[in-house]
Amino acid sequence: MMPEAKDQSFFVGFDNNVPRPLAGFALRIAALLIGGFAMLALVLGGGGEDTGPGIYGDEIIMQGELHAKPYPFLRVAADRDHPAGRAILLAGDGKVGAEGDAKPFDGQQVVARGAALKRGTLDMMVVGSGGFSMPAKLPGAAVPAQAPVSRGTWRLSGEICDGKCLGGAMRPGSGLAHKACANLCISGGQPPVFASTGTVDGTSFFLLADKNGGPVPDAVYDLVALPVDLEGDVERVDNMLILKVDWAKLARR
Amino acid sequence: MSATYRPVSWNHNKIVYDAILLIAVAVYLWIFIQVSPALHPTAAQIDGDILRMRAYGSCAFLMLSFILCIGPLARLDPRWLPVLYNRRHFGVLTCAVALMHAWYVLGWYFAFSPVDPFVALLSSNTSFARIAGFPFELFGILALAILLVLAATSHDFWLSFLTPPVWKAMHMSLYAGYTAIVLHLALGPLMAQANAALAIVVAFSVVSVAGLHLAAAVQGAAQDRDVAQAAASSPWISAGLISDLTEGRGRVVRVKGGESIAVFRHGGRISALANACAHQNGPLGEGRIVEGCVTCPWHGFQYRPEDGCAPPPFTEKLATYRVRLEDGHVLVDPRANPPGTYVEPVVIAGDAR
Repeated sequence: MMPEAKDQSFFVGFDNNVPRPLAGFALRIAALLIGGFAMLALVLGGGGEDTGPGIYGDEIIMQGELHAKPYPFLRVAADRDHPAGRAILLAGDGKVGAEGDAKPFDGQQVVARGAALKRGTLDMMVVGSGGFSMPAKLPGAAVPAQAPVSRGTWRLSGEICDGKCLGGAMRPGSGLAHKACANLCISGGQPPVFASTGTVDGTSFFLLADKNGGPVPDAVYDLVALPVDLEGDVERVDNMLILKVDWAKLARR
Repeated sequence: MSATYRPVSWNHNKIVYDAILLIAVAVYLWIFIQVSPALHPTAAQIDGDILRMRAYGSCAFLMLSFILCIGPLARLDPRWLPVLYNRRHFGVLTCAVALMHAWYVLGWYFAFSPVDPFVALLSSNTSFARIAGFPFELFGILALAILLVLAATSHDFWLSFLTPPVWKAMHMSLYAGYTAIVLHLALGPLMAQANAALAIVVAFSVVSVAGLHLAAAVQGAAQDRDVAQAAASSPWISAGLISDLTEGRGRVVRVKGGESIAVFRHGGRISALANACAHQNGPLGEGRIVEGCVTCPWHGFQYRPEDGCAPPPFTEKLATYRVRLEDGHVLVDPRANPPGTYVEPVVIAGDAR
């Protein structure tokens, strides 16, 4: 038998001597793969959305009147930046709302300690367990309670988000990819916030409530992270707007 | 080819193959996670965990798209066969990258809650009646489950244990996995319209995978129509002219009813055996004679042309066929002999080597 001449067009996996034409072709594929992946990483890595100016800030200590409904918020004294008064929406640690800690202090003057969350006019604070206290001597004067002001009935377009992630705890903290996380946060008691495409009194963020000013019902979960139109009464508490929605009516539409 | 089961039968080609894969994946992740935020202000704002879940997720999608293109590319151009050779390692690495994506998703979107992350994953979005807002994570779970099963069974032990037809059918579920990933993307990040580049890349990938499969299918259908003609004496069929059969090479002869026979010219003689390799049904007729054996173009499994047996210590056996020569034509009896049956090769007059 004559020895076989090596076929230069045939690859045998266990033969370490790959024919040169095939080795050259395979090298070009390898270069294409590595180069292509590098280029795609640049394109896809840099093509994300603008998450906006949400900030998870340093620890702050605030004194004010605590309200537990519909979701905990703290009314603090007016200052130069907030001449109409300032209401800070409160979130809890992780994906658990602050209601459990806030409830015993409902309507009381307290000192709250937590991390600041800020996105535009959305003013929030993450208060962990034990973050509220009622010292015998308050560091500041008690805040005179102003009655909420009705701003009428509005129909607004936008997205229902969980306030904590939207405020800056996650970037991005909104959008469809974040829907399950937002639902988990809202079901855990974090405040639902409506990010509107329009503004009322200069703000596009609204704390959501039911028509009676209570927490939102479970029906809201299907609408979270989607473009929706909401109609309801808008109420101003200091610099914070609350949108009270008849969710049953909305579900019937 | 291996007579015993080892986790990986390493050789030089596999090491080079895996090194190239690892470099491509490492370069992709490094650029996505480290370089892009330095170049793009918007990427710099994104949480590190979200950036990582996006990097691993998109990398797994691209890897799987590439894997699915290799098969049809190798059918259309045999120079791609070296890329097919170690495709299993490509698949297993893809599964590992997809697992990392799931790890970051669970550890970020579904963590920090009293609800168990796995329970939260399945229960926090139940908008099943809607397209926009549908829990797209479910498609990701389905795809990952398929990838895990395929990666776990991506070994010759399982191929032998399950038998090649069952194993092959099971691994065809990769297409269901790919469809699930595309739906996962379409109902999640693509519907969020957050990244136009991602939409373009996904569309291009899907069209490439579908287009290449279509082209390979068209070519395959044309070959399947080329059924061997019956010879004058039944049941023999014509396998073409002897002069058209190149030494050391084979020819695929298609028989009515779907069977294929590989006819080889080797050392001035002609033999015929089943065309489907016992390993993964690779087309032996497109292989070569290497070291006196018919060698599969896919993974190099070898068989003696005269009896269809893999050389010792290997034990695979294929059906053989009777061959005769008549008026310059090769004729084959399409009735298969039992696997491993010795059939005396037909000597080509004046070409005995």
